[in-house]
Amino acid sequence: MAPLQKRALYSFIIGLVLTIALIAVLVIQGDITAFDRDPNVRYVMYAVLIGVPLIYGILCDLTLRKPRQIDERDRLIIEKSSRAQWLAVIFLLVVWTIALTEIYHDERQVPVAFLTLIFVSALIISPLAQSLGILLGYWRMNHNG
Amino acid sequence: MGRIQNRIRRLRFDHNEMTQEELANSVGCTRQTIIALEQNKYVPSIELAFRVAKAFGVPLEEVFQHEDG
Repeated sequence: MAPLQKRALYSFIIGLVLTIALIAVLVIQGDITAFDRDPNVRYVMYAVLIGVPLIYGILCDLTLRKPRQIDERDRLIIEKSSRAQWLAVIFLLVVWTIALTEIYHDERQVPVAFLTLIFVSALIISPLAQSLGILLGYWRMNHNG
Repeated sequence: MGRIQNRIRRLRFDHNEMTQEELANSVGCTRQTIIALEQNKYVPSIELAFRVAKAFGVPLEEVFQHEDG
């Protein structure tokens, strides 16, 4: 397994675990108002806000810093994976926009907690989609050439 | 469109059974890229192709061949 592939796999697993953990926290707490009611939920969100870029940065740095860890083939895969990254973020924002508009249309206002949730979800989905793009890039290259 | 074939595996064995790792180190890429090249799963850049040919001390066309498809 190429170093970049390994890094993408770790990032993907971490991202997936974080996503499931966040959804679990919100489900256990009941609904989105838990964000306003329970400071612990807010702290978890803040930890994610700080933790995700930090972990992602460290993993990237560990992979890219060592000499000969990444070559032209890996760079090609990274370039292609960025398309999956921005497509996923755009799709996520579209889903949020439609969902929030439809759910809160009559109330004419959206709970402020969604601001953080939208940001956190974009923050998680971005490296998650890039990692998936990298893994798919290797898979496609190994199968189709 | 044609296909780019190569003789990297053959040339490695002709050069004292050079390992994929040794070739990767001498041309500045990862061992996984050498594996992909040998399996014709990746077409290298011109620069990498020249570096591979240089590592074996042979002209480019002795390593890579274009086949009309």
